[in-house]
This record gives sequence, C-alpha cells and structure tokens, in this order.
Amino acid sequence: MMSALTARVPRHAVWVLVLALATAFLFVRSGFDFGYVIPKRMARLAAMLIGGVCIAWSSIAFQTITGNRILTPAIMGYEAIYLLLQSLLILFMGTQSLVVLGANGNFFLSVLLMLGYSWVIHRWLFRDGRNNVYLLLLLGLVLTMVIGTFTQFVQLKVSPGEFSILLGFSQASFGRAEPGQLLTSAIVVAAVCLAGVKTLPTLDVLSLGRDQAISLGVDYQRTVRLYLALIAVLVAVSTSLLGPTAFMGIFVANMTYALARTFRHRITLPIGCAIAVGMFILAQLAVEHVFNYRTTVGILVNLVCGVWFLALMLRTRGTA
Amino acid sequence: MRAGLFGGLFIALCCASLLVGVQQMAWSQVFSLSGDAWLTLTASRLPRLAALILTGVGLSVCGVILQHIVRNKFVEPATSGGLDAAKLGILVALTTVPTTGNLGRMLFALAFCFVASLIFVAIVRRIRFKNTVLVPVIGLMYGGVLSAIAEFYAYRNNILQSMQGWLLGDFSKIVQGNYEIIYLILPIVVVTYLYAHRFTVLGMGEGMATSLGLNYPATVALGLMLVAVTVAATVITVGAIPFVGLVIPNLVAMYYGDNLGRTLPVVALGGASLLLACDILGRLLIHPFEVPIGLTAGGVGGVLFLMLIFWRNR
Repeated sequence: MMSALTARVPRHAVWVLVLALATAFLFVRSGFDFGYVIPKRMARLAAMLIGGVCIAWSSIAFQTITGNRILTPAIMGYEAIYLLLQSLLILFMGTQSLVVLGANGNFFLSVLLMLGYSWVIHRWLFRDGRNNVYLLLLLGLVLTMVIGTFTQFVQLKVSPGEFSILLGFSQASFGRAEPGQLLTSAIVVAAVCLAGVKTLPTLDVLSLGRDQAISLGVDYQRTVRLYLALIAVLVAVSTSLLGPTAFMGIFVANMTYALARTFRHRITLPIGCAIAVGMFILAQLAVEHVFNYRTTVGILVNLVCGVWFLALMLRTRGTA
Repeated sequence: MRAGLFGGLFIALCCASLLVGVQQMAWSQVFSLSGDAWLTLTASRLPRLAALILTGVGLSVCGVILQHIVRNKFVEPATSGGLDAAKLGILVALTTVPTTGNLGRMLFALAFCFVASLIFVAIVRRIRFKNTVLVPVIGLMYGGVLSAIAEFYAYRNNILQSMQGWLLGDFSKIVQGNYEIIYLILPIVVVTYLYAHRFTVLGMGEGMATSLGLNYPATVALGLMLVAVTVAATVITVGAIPFVGLVIPNLVAMYYGDNLGRTLPVVALGGASLLLACDILGRLLIHPFEVPIGLTAGGVGGVLFLMLIFWRNR
C-alpha cells in the first residue's frame, strides 16, 4: 500500500510533464495555423505516442522475462531483421514491392518475420532457463553488425532511387507514417495492450525468476511464449512506424525502474510509456528549435542513450 | 608440414589476386616488360597486392597486441572503439584543416585512436569483475558512442553520406602513387616482433609482468601506439575493415598457444591470407564490379566471430 502511494506521485508528475511537452510541441512557433501546421504536428505526435508505448512495453516486458536489465529486443537483433527484410524486398522486387504490398502488407510481413525470429529466440534462449546475459548481448551486437554489412551490400546493388528509399527505412523519424498506417498501428497496439493487461499479475510473478514462478503455479513456457509473441508485434509496429531506435529501450526501462521504485508492471508500464513519449517529444523539440534541423532524432537518441548505457555498465561494474 | 601448407595457400592466393581483374592481361606483354599489361601489373595489381598483404598483417598483429594488453580474446580495433576514433579523427581533420594532405589526416586519426584506446584500457581496468564477453560488449558500445559523435558532427557539416562511402574498406582505389603510407606497417611489424616476448609477458597480467621486471605502463603505451599507427595508416589508405584482427589471432591461439615470438609469423600470414581471400571473393561476386572489402570481410569475419563465440562458450 505504502509503495503504491509513493509511486503515485511521480507517476502523475511524469504524465503532467508529458502533457506540457506535447502542448509545447503542438503550439510553439505554430502561428496557431489549424489548417496545416497543427494537423501535421498532431500526426507526428500520434506516431510518437504509439512508438513510445511500443518501445516501453516491449523493453520492460522483455527485461522481465529474460530477468536482466540490459537486454532489449532492439539490440537482440529484431531491428536488424526488419532492415534485412526491407533490403531483400527492394533487392528482389524493386520499388514495385512497396506498391504491390502496400504499407499494410509490408507491415504484416514484418510482423510475421518477427514472430518467426521470436520463435527462434524462444527455442534457443529459454531452452534450459540458464543463460549468460552478456553472451547473448554480444551475439545480438555481432548479429546486428553482420546483418548490417549484408544490408549495405544490398544497398550497393540497388539503384540510387531505391537506395534513398532504403535509407529512409534505416533512420528514425516521426514524419514518415501516413494516417492509414497510424490507424492500423493504433488498433494493433491497443489489441496487444488489452491482451497484455489481463496477464500483468502473471508478469509480476515472472519477475521473481523462473523457478519461483513455476513453483507459484505459473505456466512458465506458455506465458513466455505469449509475451515473446506480443513483444514481436510491438517491435514490428515501432520499427515500421519510426525506424530503428537502438538504445532507447534500455534507457526508458532503467529510467522507469529508478522513478517507479517498484517492479509491479501495473505501475512501471505506464511510467515507461510516459518516459518514452516524453523523450521523443524532447528530442524532436531539440531538433526543431535548438539544432534547427542540423541533426536528426536518431543521432540524438543514440548519443544520449549510448553514453548513458555505457555509464550504466560501468556503475554496475559487471556484477549484474 | 602445416607451415608449408599455409605458405603454399598464401602464395596461391597471391597469384590468384594478381590474375583476377577486369582488365585482361596478355602474358606475352608482361614478359616483354612494356605495354598495357605491364602497366596494369605495376600500377594497379602489384600495389593492390602489397596493400592487401600489409593491411592483413598489420590488422591481425594489432589484434594480438590489443588482446594481450586487455587480456581478453574478443578485443580488436573494431571492438574497442579504435576504428571509430580514427574515423572521428579524419572527420575532424577534414573540417578544421581542410587543406591538410593525407599525412596530416593520418596524424589526426593516430592521435584520436591512441587517446581512445587509452581511455578504453582505463575503462576496462575499472571493471573489477571481468567477464570475457563483457569487455567486447563495452568496447562495441564505446565505439557506438564515438561513431554517434562522428555522425552528429558529420550531419552538421553535410558530409554524412560521403563519410559512409570513404570509410568503408575498399581496395579498388589503390593505385601507384596514393597508397604508399601503408608501408608504415612494415616497421610496426618489425618492432612488434622485436618486442614479442614483452607482449607475451604483458598478457600474464600486471602483477606477474611487473615482478618479471617489465615496465608495465611503458609497454602498454608502446603497444597502444603501435596499434594506433597501424589503424590510422589502414583507415587512411583503404578504410575500415572489421573482425580481421579478432578472428585470426583466436584461430591461431587455438592451435599454437599464446607465445607471441612463435605465433606472430603465423598470425601475420593468416591475416594476409584472410584479406586476400575476402578481396578475391569481393572482386568475383558481382564481376565486373566489385564489392568493397569492408563488406566481405565484415560478413565472413562476423560469421567466423559468431562461431568462435559458440566454440569458446561450449
């Protein structure tokens, strides 16, 4: 009871802050132009909201079921797989693939692929419950590099026009989503969240560890499978909506634990979403008004979150 | 016996590297020491072969030195931030002193790489609980931050696209007259060979090395300097090539152990052979065009690295 009370203060404060940021984002230097500027900004805000929710949920849930605070789906190779798919599509089908599949077709193909990747990870990662976190992290990083070189090779072979499309896929931005895709993504995310909310107490039990969860009567394999599937869908949504965000997830998850001071997902997940959305708005505001478009959101996020992650690794001194 | 096999393989790869290319060479012209074929051979093929061998030798020797200093088998310039620091150095040189030539840029790359390696060694020493895979993870993250800084900087100066192009390892632009800096690697390899025993002792840890009478800080600084010079010279002339310095020393150490005085020639030969093979592969894949060696070496080396991680952790 006590912990719920102390947690309630930052929880609301965080959301108030996000609302203030969102208002600032909508109206600063807009000239109150409701015909063009504000609707455009609304669409970007919606993309940030959906993307933020996806990143926060997928990272925190992934960290709970893997039982550590460093891994996130993004560095485990999900994003690399997405980029690989886009490169292969362009390589074999050319730009027609975009027309034939449409935004939604491409999206559902990505979801399928990530579900498949989740299945592989599940087979391999949770086979015996015993795993070396740093080994997995190293594998994820190297896999990302190898797939990255392959993607570059594909980029080398395609024409400049196709190359610029591919380049668009590989950089984080909020402006690329169309209203139709936003709507689809929102529906998918809402469905996933509804499915997830029911099992939140089970997720709390899972954070105690595999053996404790099993002895408390949780069907471990089934829950992990369910959550890996949900995570795959969420990562697919965020990557196709915003592009790769690499270290963002680690940052959001660890900030959340620090602010919430509890591991109950009913509390951590909303705070995580708020932090992710707030970060995105801050980054976008910085790009628009401080750096005057002379840098990108992706570079800023990588810089800040990368430094922070390095500090985290040094502070825990490898005892995690 | 095995050494003979390696030598034979290496020589075969050299010959193949000389023979593969878009320009057909008529051997009658070669033997008359004039004409187009002779020009192709001396102005393009031979410089390329020399650059390939030197780069391969240099990078794999670099990897060995770093691995002995950090005492971790998964460390090399690409997994310790050295490569990214060198890129950042070139970028800074290009924007602050645009008039400087290759040599000036190399000095910038050298300085950045040396400082970044020092910082990396300091970071690794700070971690008390050393996990074999934690060190390269930190190195990769460190490199990621350095290259994010480089991207930030490049984006502001509108050279992001060209930076991605010219920093990718590529031997196709090696012709007579613009690659000679790479010969700096020769003295480096000689010095490394002379100091091989000291680096072997270094690999036993600070306490052991000091009690055996080694000046620990000085030897570490020397090693890092050798690495920085090699990395800077290769990045300037051919660009970044990942994983070579990691895969070869590990494979060699599996069969021959860690006595550098004995293994160094094998490591050097192995590095050169791997690069030659990757280069020939890159030239044949989409003939008559070619795939930059940064990509083929990244792919082949990366897959070998993944296999190594599995073997080591079995």
